[in-house]
Amino acid sequence: MGKFITRRGLAALLVFWLAVSLLFAMIHMAPGDPVSVMLGPRATPEIKAELARRMGFDKPLVVQLGKFYADVAHGDLGVDPFSNRRVSDIVLEQLPYTLVLVLAAIGGASLLGIPLGCFSAVRRNSLLDRLTGILSVAFIAIPSFVVALYLLLWLAVKWRWFPAIGAGASGDYADQARHLVLPAIALGLGWVGYIARLVRASMLEVMEENHIRTARAFGLPERTIIVHYALRIAILPTVTILGLGIGSMLSGALFAEIVFSRPGIGRLLYEAVISRNYPVVMGSVLVTTGFFVLCTLVSDIVNALLDPRLRESREH
Amino acid sequence: MNRKVHPLLPDPQRRLFLQSASISLAGLAAGCLPGICFAKRQDELHIRNYQDVSSLDPVSTVSTAEGIILGAINQNLLQFRSDGSWGTRPDAAEFVEQTDPTHYDFRLKPGQMFSDGFGEVTADDVKFSFERMIDPAMKAFNLPDMGTLSHVEVHDRYSGTFVLRSPYAAFTTIALAGPSGALLSRKAVTALGGRFTTHPPCGSGPYRFKSWQAQRKTVLERNPAWTGKAAAFSEIHVYAMSDDKAAEMAYEAGQLDCAQISVETVGPFERAMPPDSSIRVLRSGRNFWLGMNHENPALADIRIRQAVQYAVDVEAVMEAAWFGLAKVSTGPIPDGMTGHRQQALVPPKGDPDRARALLREAGVPLPLRLRFDVPSRARDLTTAQVIQWSLKKVGIEAEIHAHDNSTFITLGRQDLGGQWRDLQLFLEDFVGMADPYYSMTWFISAQMGIWNWERFSNAEFDRLNDLALATSDAAERSRIYQRMQDLMEESGCYRFLTNGIMPQIIRNGIEPVFRPDGYAQLREFRPASGVG
Repeated sequence: MGKFITRRGLAALLVFWLAVSLLFAMIHMAPGDPVSVMLGPRATPEIKAELARRMGFDKPLVVQLGKFYADVAHGDLGVDPFSNRRVSDIVLEQLPYTLVLVLAAIGGASLLGIPLGCFSAVRRNSLLDRLTGILSVAFIAIPSFVVALYLLLWLAVKWRWFPAIGAGASGDYADQARHLVLPAIALGLGWVGYIARLVRASMLEVMEENHIRTARAFGLPERTIIVHYALRIAILPTVTILGLGIGSMLSGALFAEIVFSRPGIGRLLYEAVISRNYPVVMGSVLVTTGFFVLCTLVSDIVNALLDPRLRESREH
Repeated sequence: MNRKVHPLLPDPQRRLFLQSASISLAGLAAGCLPGICFAKRQDELHIRNYQDVSSLDPVSTVSTAEGIILGAINQNLLQFRSDGSWGTRPDAAEFVEQTDPTHYDFRLKPGQMFSDGFGEVTADDVKFSFERMIDPAMKAFNLPDMGTLSHVEVHDRYSGTFVLRSPYAAFTTIALAGPSGALLSRKAVTALGGRFTTHPPCGSGPYRFKSWQAQRKTVLERNPAWTGKAAAFSEIHVYAMSDDKAAEMAYEAGQLDCAQISVETVGPFERAMPPDSSIRVLRSGRNFWLGMNHENPALADIRIRQAVQYAVDVEAVMEAAWFGLAKVSTGPIPDGMTGHRQQALVPPKGDPDRARALLREAGVPLPLRLRFDVPSRARDLTTAQVIQWSLKKVGIEAEIHAHDNSTFITLGRQDLGGQWRDLQLFLEDFVGMADPYYSMTWFISAQMGIWNWERFSNAEFDRLNDLALATSDAAERSRIYQRMQDLMEESGCYRFLTNGIMPQIIRNGIEPVFRPDGYAQLREFRPASGVG
């Protein structure tokens, strides 16, 4: 297992390095003059030169990249040229908002999707199964931003059950939870359908296996067979997908953060890209890429822990 | 220890759990009910800002979003009047008087205090605030706002003199009344090492800074040290919201008292107005125009440029892109500002027959194909399509090329490559400030290849630009700027479109005050008469 984790860890580091380097190059090669965008027409050439110096644009791209990695190795993501705040502070300040949103979305989607998939498999071809099937496909097909807009229109604007914008008052957890409901639903609804379909398919496969038939022959209650024997195995592919889902949701959270005017890493990145604030862009990209790679790694390790066959096949 | 429970009675622990869970769930649900969810204090103001602040230090602010907040927590020597004009009135100053073209005397009102125990506002604080703006070591982003300021002489605790190197007629409006002229406490800022960013140490305005949360909001509260007319609200919450639609939803959901809304929402809102609300369609200080690069061979003949000017139906642009809400402009200087022209040389609807005649006279084969570069924003694309349609009617085929704003902003820049040579037609806009100088100075010859993409160069225009800056008589300045706009239009390089609008939706319980360019003067906001 140790070898497996080491090998996967090294591969993850390589992927991370490649991804960040590529993103760095792509961002810096994008057309446009960040200094002009930031300062507007009032800026004199001296002021522009000063801002360019603060952002490191006065050096060749390779030198900028080298310096970036050297700074990262020292835990320094640079400084926002406007606020003079450390980019690491800015990013870490926003990251918890996105993490909470993503975890709430994926958690809620799992809480709904797993039982739905399970019921569908157990009551195969029943009305409930068909209804769940239709709803699941609908949830997957409807774009999240459409869901977000309708949630806003009905639940925030028309009925005023939930707040339309923001993340709630600091320290008031009930208020923060209320502010989390709509964005989490908007972000997680598609995943409900996805998880339900995945669990259903896995369950159907597992329910046909010998040990389930044996359990039935021993007269174990159906509920015990489903929950303790079938679902425990059928949930494995879902766990893998959830790991990846958390990583990809980090970037997917962007639309929810914009529509619900919620702070977060996605919105930070979006606004930094629009204003070509490269230090903040790179800091955000580094953290989201790192998180994505980490989620993939953890998902691989969890899979290997749950299914020794995977671990062994990779070690041979 | 085993507990004996009657089999027909529920387990008391289970019952307790169910009771607790029910109460918790009911509490959570109740928290989500309308009214409870958004209970705002009556004396708070919740308002949208179009973007987050990155600094509240005048040396490093970069947008009006920051200026809106600076104006509430700081005093300037002068402030803009609250009657919708660009006129000024004393703020911290008892008076400001120009004694000669390069000297302005001032005297502060005694007894004005900085918040948080930083003492009285003195002439030395004025000197500190202005001289740090022009200090080369500070590398202030807004240094140009100070114009030709050389230094400040302090005479006594309350009075002093601004000394300019050369006449700068925009000094009172841009330097003294604008965000860059906010008065800071020498003691407070020096204690911070001479700089600060999003957390100002103190202020002398009616409100003081309370908190800032990145990408969320800035909260201001009544300044207890303020000695003027009491601030109307106990707190002002300024929300950073770059998305118009999110702001509109938040307003409809009752979370905002005032919000800038998109132009296309004005109609739907007027047909179904949110409760207890009204809309004000304010003028904006922006200048939108169609530019022509006369150094491009296709547009070198002035008759072709004039044909474009006469072909474009600006009224149609106003209908399609501005939903009939904005007015056709007569030049970069908007209505209400010194130098505004009552009428442009080319009529708003254009004159297609004259355009065709000019093209015939120029002898160009038709259809004439031109490149048309525009930013990729929806309104700009609509504007471009209407212009394209107008041009097609006279035999000019414009090919639209849309660009991301960051790319677009570099197209005419000579220092970034040779792409400026390919520019032919383009849509441009930028925001003005409180003085016509700021609307016009971008078109001088020295700005060619920087912001002057038309590559318009006129010796008389350059001379008048300098003259206007040295002229303090308002009527004379007005004549100069009107002549300068005539020269721009006569060159055939410009077809002025509009100065834009800035629609705001406001709760009826609020009496708002806006500058003539549509930005909020937060310190002047009050509950409407009989409310709150």
